[in-house]
Amino acid sequence: MVVGGMLLACAWTAGAESPAATAAAAAPGATIAAPAAPADAPPAEFKTLDQEVQGLKKDVIDLNKDLFVLEEELLFPANTQVAVYVSMDVGTFFALDSVTVKIDNKEVKNYLYTAREADALLKGGVQQIYLGNLKVGKHEMVAFFTGKGPMERDYRRGATINFDKGVGAKYLELKITDKVAKHQPEFTIKNWE
Amino acid sequence: MRRILLAGSLALGATWAAAAPAAAPTLVGRDAPDFALKTLDGSNLRLSEFRGQVVLVNFWARWAGDSRQEMPALNKINATYQRAGLVVLGVSVDDDLRRAREFAGAMKVSYPIMFDTGTDLGRDYLLQKMPMTILVDRSGVVRFSHVGYKHGDERIYLDQIRELLRE
Repeated sequence: MVVGGMLLACAWTAGAESPAATAAAAAPGATIAAPAAPADAPPAEFKTLDQEVQGLKKDVIDLNKDLFVLEEELLFPANTQVAVYVSMDVGTFFALDSVTVKIDNKEVKNYLYTAREADALLKGGVQQIYLGNLKVGKHEMVAFFTGKGPMERDYRRGATINFDKGVGAKYLELKITDKVAKHQPEFTIKNWE
Repeated sequence: MRRILLAGSLALGATWAAAAPAAAPTLVGRDAPDFALKTLDGSNLRLSEFRGQVVLVNFWARWAGDSRQEMPALNKINATYQRAGLVVLGVSVDDDLRRAREFAGAMKVSYPIMFDTGTDLGRDYLLQKMPMTILVDRSGVVRFSHVGYKHGDERIYLDQIRELLRE
């Protein structure tokens, strides 16, 4: 955070002393000599200032992104990182309500989906439901899915996976798909190698 | 020396005592902790999905008599200001979900009623006394917090809601 503040301060200083700002400061004479602009058009100095502000905003967004990545790398180093994602394909036979994730018999996440979130998944969105740390070795993950199944019936199903956590980051995907032949939803866990 | 120490400690004690009531923790000025809960009609709602609107969150409990008086007042506020961009959410913190549902159904309010049976929300929102009402601005920051309810408080809510809606 301190690093971010320092970088932000640098960006601000750089912005204030940029050639554009210097040019704007020296502009009054030139502005008078220039052909008359339409009455409602903003003065050139304002335009330059606006561009600078937009530039600074972009810098702040970029810095924020970098800080987010940095924070994630510090909190969840690659050698212990485990990330779990949720995806949904079709969804004719299942309306998602919640997902509970247990790793080594300990509940690590319980997520309730709003209609908007479930809709985003149906449109192809992938959600990172959990990000945590795990020791190298064998682990078990169980995911419980609740929602409405075929014929609007309450539906609760589980899926289990045993996986080896190596030295690199581990990515697991909870997939909800339609099993057309059986007219039932299917819940699987994919281990991304 | 002992007298000075005694006077010092008395002064410190007096300052502490005077500061104690004002030091009640509040979320005002901080981002409203996000939550997703099940509503009376079975759907799920998430606070952060109302970003861009002014949100009044009313934490209530069946056993708190003031909640019974406050809910009709909030219902009126919701009916009037919903179109102006206000969202009213009622959150039950009752342990007995079945009775809380019955109570909520009997109150016949038009705004969504949600049910929380966990402990995280109470901790996140520093819930002290029921009912408790907080006002969240369009950018998701808690701007006003009210503990308890007495007749006429809704006028204060209205002033604050208008202020937030104007922003």
